[in-house]
Order: sequence, then structure tokens, then C-alpha cells
Amino acid sequence: MELRTLTRVATGLTVGVVAAAALAGCTGDSGSSSAGGDQTVTVWTAGTSAAELLAPAVAEFEDANPGTTIDVVDVGNPAIWEKITTSLAAGGEGLPDIMQIGIDYLPGYTEKFPGAFADLSTLGADDLAADFAPSAWGGGMGPDGELWGVPFEVNTAGFTYNKSLFDAAGIDMSTITTWDELIEAGVTLKAKTGASLFELDKAATNHPSADIWQTLTQQQGSFYFNADGEITLNSAEGAKSLELLKKANDLGVLADAASFTAGGASQYADGSVATNVDASWWAGYFEDAQPDQAGKWAVALRPAVEEGGATAALAGASYLSIAGNSEHKDAAWEFIAFALGTLEGQEAMQTAHAFTPGFTPVYSSDGFTDGSGFYVGESPSQIFVDSITQPDLAVPTFTSDYARAIKIYADAQTKVLISGADPQEALDEAAQLLADATGREIAG
Amino acid sequence: MIDLAVQSPVQSPPPLESTPPTRSRRSARRSWLTPRNTPYVLLAPVILLFAAFKGYPILSAAYLSLTTNDGGTQRLVGIANYERIFNDPLFYRALLNTLVILVIQVPIMLALAMLLAVAFHSTLLKFRTVFRLGYFLPVVMGLVAYGVIFSVMLATDNGIVNVTLQSIGLPKVPWLQDPVWAKVSLMIAMTWHYTGINTVIYLAQRQTIPQDLYEAAAMDGAGHVRQFFNVTLPGLRPAILLTVVTSTIGTLQLFDEPYILTNGGPDNATLTIGMYLYENAFTYFDFGYASAIGFVLVGMVVILSVAQFRLFKEEK
Repeated sequence: MELRTLTRVATGLTVGVVAAAALAGCTGDSGSSSAGGDQTVTVWTAGTSAAELLAPAVAEFEDANPGTTIDVVDVGNPAIWEKITTSLAAGGEGLPDIMQIGIDYLPGYTEKFPGAFADLSTLGADDLAADFAPSAWGGGMGPDGELWGVPFEVNTAGFTYNKSLFDAAGIDMSTITTWDELIEAGVTLKAKTGASLFELDKAATNHPSADIWQTLTQQQGSFYFNADGEITLNSAEGAKSLELLKKANDLGVLADAASFTAGGASQYADGSVATNVDASWWAGYFEDAQPDQAGKWAVALRPAVEEGGATAALAGASYLSIAGNSEHKDAAWEFIAFALGTLEGQEAMQTAHAFTPGFTPVYSSDGFTDGSGFYVGESPSQIFVDSITQPDLAVPTFTSDYARAIKIYADAQTKVLISGADPQEALDEAAQLLADATGREIAG
Repeated sequence: MIDLAVQSPVQSPPPLESTPPTRSRRSARRSWLTPRNTPYVLLAPVILLFAAFKGYPILSAAYLSLTTNDGGTQRLVGIANYERIFNDPLFYRALLNTLVILVIQVPIMLALAMLLAVAFHSTLLKFRTVFRLGYFLPVVMGLVAYGVIFSVMLATDNGIVNVTLQSIGLPKVPWLQDPVWAKVSLMIAMTWHYTGINTVIYLAQRQTIPQDLYEAAAMDGAGHVRQFFNVTLPGLRPAILLTVVTSTIGTLQLFDEPYILTNGGPDNATLTIGMYLYENAFTYFDFGYASAIGFVLVGMVVILSVAQFRLFKEEK
């Protein structure tokens, strides 16, 4: 109830315009990127884990490159997006040299703010393409072959389950091949153990909770948009995904994430929820948050949506990008190429739990797929490698309207899960709303 | 102003050659600081700041509202953004939500504030300072902090509100998950936060109503209720106008509470115009459309405020 909402926008933009004008007037005489001189390359990360991950690579790079200092600043998530957005609206004023950018933000930034990021192809990045998982590399590319970022952390659709509860209910995960079977097994699980199969923020009041639907839809080769940028969220595949969520909800095996406020994944440790289906990063997070659960849990590839369908999907990725107005582009690129594109740099980062890079040569490094023993059976890293290297893993077309699409989809999902709406009707309505707001066509 | 100028010593004749240097310096100063321009000179810093940080942004936003981002460049599109607003179901949803909160929450909050002010004024009340402080404290609490505390208290399964309800045999309420209850939660949080400030305003006004009026009313046989309606209420009129106008403006611009408590959900049940503006600007990078929403909001604030001033004036 503050008076500042309107002026906040107006002031932010105007300060931006003034700053941009000032910047335009004074960038001519800066030639500080000359080789040999001392320079500092600033990096913004979207979380402490990313900053910690980079730290060993930073130390090695600085040793090998005297005179260059890499200053990693953890801005945090979601603060980093607001900072980058306002900086871009201000013509790039205030941006660091390197920043971590989500795959979902990249198309919006590059389309709305041309020149925001350096085209890494012009700095020699194309040589690295063959060493990266194609789906992850493709997410950093623009429509005309530009490369806006190099994959840093890559996530695939996750499936982490409480094996001891599944065993207690007499359910053998290896016999379950589709989501329909899984949800039906969830009924048995609930009856025998009291645990819900998985959880979702049904009312989407914490954030648009579209992730599970999104990866289910990707498993079927579809997404919010097709490669031409047309709207496909109401496709048969999209409807099938939402029907699965509705089925889980109607059968009482889908818990509401909003019910659990304690944090630290305690609903998983106390037996309230038996499976997490978010993304591959979750396995590492859970291991750190609930060490006492060692030996009870396992990770697996996801069941397919249709019999014989894909068991993996690209759930997200973050990239390191260089600001278009950076004065240290060459040094910034050298650091990125070292940290993300060499075995030396990647192995330096490997100490972290569940490090999931897009650089494929590191997958066969010593110990990469060794687990810590927390999980029964295969390690999360092994499942990640098995997922990311699946040949038919597509790069979804995010477009600059992705943020609008997830919000509008999440509203449709809420209508279905909270108010009992029909999935296809709710998605058709959402597609129309998205078309009206963005001027995009709905794919026929 | 003219009278002042005539009387002022500025009009005195220029100093002679023999005048000491200090006086000539003083006369040099006179040449630019005159009684006519003094107010403007003194106000200049504020005017400059206003022009730079309010005037210019407003004009800039006005221009922005006539443009759209087309592949990275702002292209003039005339009133297309405004036309889009009037065809945008989400804007109407946000407007309706905002009006529902305005019509229900503001009267309840102001009535509560008035009753509290009357209670706090009563000489029969012990520990008055403690009570006043208690009701005023929420006002100074940070918006984010109180939003987070409310979301913890209103959690469905282990929030203190539902735990309390269940302990006395009542069912759990989906405070933040149900479209209707989410609005109710928002109104409860707002009422808790803003009643205190309105109470203080009423209390200050109540203290200016002369005791004679109450004595005269009592002589005429008016009871306490009659006194409230015929003496207190008319006496509070200026404060009521102030609080109605400021609460209306505040509610129309409502942003922080839904942003933190419900994220505008579920299914846009608590989406407000302020939130929709923010989403368009900072989530969808649609600055032109967001600016247009801002100006439509300003238009509504002006119309409602003028209407309220008129209403209260005519009744006088």
C-alpha cells in the first residue's frame, strides 16, 4: 500500500535513460583492456552454490594469469534478474563483465535488449560447441547463430524417490514404465504408508508452479511454443500432462507444497512425500539438507508419459554470458573458456555435490559418476549423464514471452487443481489469453 | 509582493564611491537576491529535485506509454497500449479485485479505527499509552517482514491460525490457497497493518472537539450513542475525508501485500493493478504497456479523489 509503485517504474526507467546518456558520452576514451595491465573481471552469480562452484576455477585461473583478478559477486536469486533487467533498461549501465543467466531469461533479454550480451562466437566460442551436450549448447544460441552464453549448470528432469517407502508398499520402481502406472502405484503407496506420491504448489501462490507440467510436456516433445514461436501449450501433449496432474490430484496422491512451511525438505524426511520430481539439482540439495536419510533414497530416470517415450527432459540450465559493454571481453572470455570449457577448470569444480555441467568430456573423468553412497543404486550424477546424453533431448523454444507463458499456464493449472476445471478447456483459454497478450499465433 | 518590494531597503540609491568594500559587496548580493525571487531561490533545490526525479520521469513514462518494444527499439504506437488495456481481461480482473478490496476493507478498517480512537480517548481506559502503542506498532513494521509473518501464520497445515481453529473444533481454512479466502487473508493483513495509523489521525481530531459540545448535548438529553453520531462524527469530518482519500489511493496502488502473501494468486484472485503493472514491466519487460497501466491508475486515483472531496464538501 505504498505510493511508490508507479513512480518506482517511472523513476527506474528515467534514471536509466539519464545514466545511459551519460555512459554513451564517456565510453569513448576507455582503453583499459590492453593486455598486460592489471584488470578485474567481475562475475555475478545467482546463488551461493554457483559462487562456491566457481571459486576453485577462479583460483586456478588467477594463478595462471597474473594481473587478472576474477571478482565473483553472489547477487542471489531472484535479485540478480531484477538487477540485470534494470541495468539493461539503463543501456547496460552497472552490468558486470560476466553474469550467470538462466536459459529462461536469455531469449527475453537478447530480444528486448539487443547488444545486451557479447556474441561469444566472435570471441572463439564455436570451437567449444562439439564438447557440449547439444541441447544445453542450443539453449545459449540466438536465432541467427549467435552464442549468448556457455552452459554452466545444466539440469535434467528429476526423479528422486524414497526407496524404503516404496519397498514397504511393495512397489518396485523398475517395473513402472509410465506416469499413469506411477500414479496408480501412488494410490497403493498412500494406502500403505500414508505418504503422498509427489508435491506441487497447487495454488501457485509462492511462484508459478509450472515446472512439472513443463518437463512432462517436454518428455512428449512439446512445450509452450514450437520452433516457429507459435503457441502450443494447449496441444494434445500439453493436455495429457495436465490430465496426469489432475489424475494424481483427484486420486489424492498429489500433496500441496503450500502445506509444508518448515523448509529444508523435512516433508521428505518425515515420510509425508515419497518422491521429488523437480530437477536433477534436487538430489544434491536433499543429500545436504537431510544427511540422516542416507541409504533410504534412490534416483532414477523418469517414467515415460507414453509407453516407450522419452525418460528425460532438459529442465533448465544456466549460462555464463559477457556484457555487451564489458571493457574486458577478452579476459572474460578466457576465464569462461577455462572454467567451463577445459577439463582442468571443470575438474576443479567437481568437488561440489551433484555438479551437473554441460561439458561432456568431464562426464568420463575419474570419479565424476561416483556417488557419495547417500543414494541406493546409481548416483545422481550417473542418472544426469544418462539423461543429458539421450540423443532425442530437444532444446525447447523459450521465446521472449516465456515469463508470460508460465504465468498464464500456472493460472490454468490452478483452475484445474483447485477449482476442478477441465484440462483441455483451461489450456485452450490460456492459449487464447497468451495469444492476445503477445500477438503470437496458436499453432493449428 | 509589490508592497513588500516598495518597503524594502533594496530600493535605496546606489552607494557612493567612499562606501567601504563590505557594503559594496552587500549591494552586489542585493542585485540578484530580491524579495521577489527569494521564495523561488529558496525553493529551487526542491523544484530541481522534483523536476529531475518526478517531473522528468512522469513525462518520460508518458512517452513510454505510447511506445512498444519492437526487437529492442521503442517504437511509437499511439494509443495502442491504452486500447489494449481496455480489452485485457487480466486488467479487468485486477481492477475488480482492487475495487472489491477497496469497498470491503477500507470501510471496515476506518470504522474500526474510529471505534478505537473513541476508546483510546476515554478517560475510563487504564494503560492508555500501552494500548495506543500496541495498535500503532504494526504501522512501523516493515512490509516484507509482516507479509512473511502472515504467510507463516496462515499456512494451511501448521500455521498458528489453523492450529488454533482446529483446537477449538473448527475446520482448517485454506487461507492462501482458495480464491475467496486469499482475498480475505489479504484484507485481514491490511487491516492489521493500517488501522493504527488511521486511529492516530482520528484520535488527534477527536482531541480538538470541544468538551462543551458534549456537555451541551448531554444537557439536551443525548445519550452516548446519540453524542457519537451528532457530535463526534461531524467533528471528525476533516479526518474522515483525509483517511478515506489516502486509504483509497493506497488501496488502488496496493502491491506489497499480494506480492509477498499470494503472488497475486490463486488464479489471479489477488492480482492488483499495482502487481499487474510490476509484472508487465519487470517480468515481461513490457515497459510501454506497464507505463500505460500506470497512467490509467493515476486517472482513476484523480477521479475517485475528486469525487470524494466533492461528496464530503456538499454534505457540509
